[in-house]
Amino acid sequence: MSESMKVLLIDDEDDFRELLGKRLVKRGLVVSTAASGQAGLDQAEGGDYDVVVLDVKMPGMDGLEVLRRLRKMVPDTEVILLTGHANMEVAVEGMDLGAFDYLMKPVAINELLYKIQDATARRRLRLGRPA
Amino acid sequence: MAPTGLLATLKRLFGSAPALSPEQEEELRRLHLERCHNFKLLLAANNRALEVMSDMEEALRGERAFGAGYVREACTRVASEVFAMVRGLTSLAPGRYDGLLPRFRAIQAEINTAVLAAPVPASGPLVRPLADLAAADLDQAGSKLANLGELARALGATIPRGFAVTAAGFARFMSHNDLQAEVDRRIQAADASRLDELYALSSSLQGFIASAPLPPDLEAAIREQAAALSAAAGEGLLLAVRSSAIGEDALGATFAGQYHTELGVEPDEAVQAYREVVAAKYGVTAMTYRLVRGIPDEAVPMCVGVMEMVDAAASGVAYSRDPMRPADGSGGRLLIEAVPGLPKAVVDGSAAVDRFLVDRDPLALARVEAARKEFRYAPSAGAGLDRIPLAPEEAGQPCLDEARVLAVARLALAAEQHFNGPQDLEWAFDPAGRLVLLQCRPLKEAAAEAAAAPPPGPANRDLPVLLAGGVAASPGAGAGEAFAARKDADALRFPPGGVLVVAQALPFWATLLSRAAAVVAERGSAAGHLANVAREYGVPALFGLPGALAGLEGAGLVTVDADGRRVLPGDATRDLPRRERPRNLMLGSPVLALLEGAARHIVPLTLLDPSAPDFAPEGCATLHDVTRYCHEKSVEEMFSQGADLPLPTHAAKRLSVDGRAMQYWVIDLGDGIAGQVEGKAVPLEQIASAPMLALWRGMTAAPWAGPPVDAKGFMSVLAGSASNPDLDPGAASAFAEKNYFMIASDFCSLQSRFGYHFSTVEALIGDEDAGNYLSFRFKGGAADHGRRTRRAEMIAELLEELGFRCETKADALFARMEGYGRQFMEERLAALGHVIVHTRQMDMAMADAAQAGAFKARLLTDITGRLGVRPGP
Repeated sequence: MSESMKVLLIDDEDDFRELLGKRLVKRGLVVSTAASGQAGLDQAEGGDYDVVVLDVKMPGMDGLEVLRRLRKMVPDTEVILLTGHANMEVAVEGMDLGAFDYLMKPVAINELLYKIQDATARRRLRLGRPA
Repeated sequence: MAPTGLLATLKRLFGSAPALSPEQEEELRRLHLERCHNFKLLLAANNRALEVMSDMEEALRGERAFGAGYVREACTRVASEVFAMVRGLTSLAPGRYDGLLPRFRAIQAEINTAVLAAPVPASGPLVRPLADLAAADLDQAGSKLANLGELARALGATIPRGFAVTAAGFARFMSHNDLQAEVDRRIQAADASRLDELYALSSSLQGFIASAPLPPDLEAAIREQAAALSAAAGEGLLLAVRSSAIGEDALGATFAGQYHTELGVEPDEAVQAYREVVAAKYGVTAMTYRLVRGIPDEAVPMCVGVMEMVDAAASGVAYSRDPMRPADGSGGRLLIEAVPGLPKAVVDGSAAVDRFLVDRDPLALARVEAARKEFRYAPSAGAGLDRIPLAPEEAGQPCLDEARVLAVARLALAAEQHFNGPQDLEWAFDPAGRLVLLQCRPLKEAAAEAAAAPPPGPANRDLPVLLAGGVAASPGAGAGEAFAARKDADALRFPPGGVLVVAQALPFWATLLSRAAAVVAERGSAAGHLANVAREYGVPALFGLPGALAGLEGAGLVTVDADGRRVLPGDATRDLPRRERPRNLMLGSPVLALLEGAARHIVPLTLLDPSAPDFAPEGCATLHDVTRYCHEKSVEEMFSQGADLPLPTHAAKRLSVDGRAMQYWVIDLGDGIAGQVEGKAVPLEQIASAPMLALWRGMTAAPWAGPPVDAKGFMSVLAGSASNPDLDPGAASAFAEKNYFMIASDFCSLQSRFGYHFSTVEALIGDEDAGNYLSFRFKGGAADHGRRTRRAEMIAELLEELGFRCETKADALFARMEGYGRQFMEERLAALGHVIVHTRQMDMAMADAAQAGAFKARLLTDITGRLGVRPGP
């Protein structure tokens, strides 16, 4: 990637979110985090993120609702759903709403990293920016 | 194929315009890149979907145990990947595949109905005797205990007397007085990111659970079982109470050592010990582990085993394959580690242990490494373990004699065979000298390598072998006449009962499998479409066997021994050991029924023939069909629309070789040119596109000797006069030889007009073989229809000999190739380069078949001779 990938992690599990964030930073990504759907939406607005990694099951606003609003608010930003619950219906619904992919925890860091790269490339190509 | 949607708009916008604005140019460049990227994503999703499907197939055979969690996870993964493919195809060709999404939805709904029929593990008995358990009970008892019961039942192994408190028992406990709700509340309220709070939370939860009252029915069940144990074992019985977590298989995560074991428990303390072990679910290590890996609390029910403690004379662990050297030529030795007394030192690595290496076949003690041991551990009431000093004469002696080593080794081998893979066992000899199995679980690291170990088969090592190697894509052995099929048309001549030998395991060949005794392919994997169909039909298949076509063509009657990964001359099926079908560990279990219900709509491939009328969205019965359909159509769309999209020629740089300007222009899609380009020309040295360089090598390796060239020489044909307006890339001229390379580091497309024919070459060659493809389209000519058609057919024949799959329609030719490795693809690309340059105006000379044949022979000689391309697929 010609410019660092910019990622926002939205997950209510503090340990998981912070550790994942650190590991992605170590791999050269620019990472922001948010502990709830609403905080994530506030941050995503105007943040020019390549990718949002979004937990599906959160207290308060749930992941799919956050996804719906993200698609309206920042339609260019790719969203990867990440969840501890294998639920086919939610997976397909999420992808139908425009999520780039649906991954299950625990996820191997490299698998997630490749997804983020693919999603970033797709976004930047669509926007005509150097991928 | 007419362009639609976005492409049509582009054509209208750009196609007829004499010149494009820089913005329009940039937009075109971007569209090409995006299309390439979407195609790559689609291929990647295709591969992952097929991997999950072949994993589900393996699970269906019950060669390993799994729970309902696995079924849900596999269905979810496969649905996500296939959805991504449907979306990818729709974006490659908007509006053309609208019927596909509804079809996908309908199949998904059927899968969903099947998955929702999931058995509820929280129902059923609260406690179960260990001896009643089977591998398929892992959702009730956790895999640790389920495996123990399975081996006792199936192999007659001696296991400790005991019982399991099931997942249903756990659910009963956690719902009593809303225990779980209170746990959730406390977790929610704490800030688990602060270590001090996490410790406080852990300690409060453990204390809370350890003192929570059990529901009366559960308490009574545990007391009753413990009393029965006591009665059977007699005075002085001590118990071990240990966790057996659920979810390890589904999550691919290991909880080893995260939980708690209570030792030296008196039977009337069993209830309290049960609470302590359940409470250990909220130990700091275990909680942290779940938090950082994102495993939900409710996904981990705690099953608990309550079993008699064996007063071991000696004990330890056994690996059915030495994990350090799973395959060292000896077929993998067994490793046994042992100590006098209980196996504490072996399990926690706290002190020196004896090591025994055992040869597998024939079973023999190969090496003894006796350690100096200072203590042994014995069961002790309350404290759990007593540490007892060893007498000096005992300390340096091996704690097992040869007979006992071999007894342990036999048990480990039997377990390996039963569970279809290497195992890690914990065992003990009781004071009466009986071997007792304490624990058994798969040895994961070794499994993959062991599978790649050289084939076993001591009984028939001396059979002559024609070919050896490859992967068993479908098990078994079959004999028949070897039939080498090189092109599609060969399918019509396939002899029933023959052994099909092909270059590549393409789905096309599936139509022959019902009539084949076995199938061999030089390339292909066990996860591909053809492997899937072979397994479904029960046809033995050996894939990835280089040299199979040359080695087996005309070999007559041969035997394909897929299990032994070899091909033997004649019918050797009688000489081969009868393959014992691995037993289905899940037979009759509700979880297997659940998987079967879902897999029926996912795994089978019914859509075989892309030219059949039912090769359509409506013809897709399973997700595998949808996958196949998307793959086929996306390749088609990728190739056909590539030619339809106008080129962003404005940014084109003219190619120069040794300072001379060529009649070729280069459009860089991103990373196809190294360094900065000054001016309007790009020197060949700066081209960083490997596919373009391969193609160019083929185009320039031999001087063109065709009809219209005079002695001016070859380079003068490629080099054009800069003053010729026909060669200006911006000018639209019907006769211009406008040749454009569009490149990225792993991609190259060349659209060219040579004389009167039009050709397109496209290549994507990267590090993953599965994503590699080449396509070639060729049409036109100035001669009469017969000659043009003859030329197209001649080129098709030539390319088929090089391993391409070709279709011709009158004077149009479409050839493609996919899934081969980099070197092979680049050689073929060079061959295409030679073909496009040297077939120009050749149609003029195609008066009859004989002339066509002579041309073909000459082209092939040049390709193999000058370019060094090996013929054959």
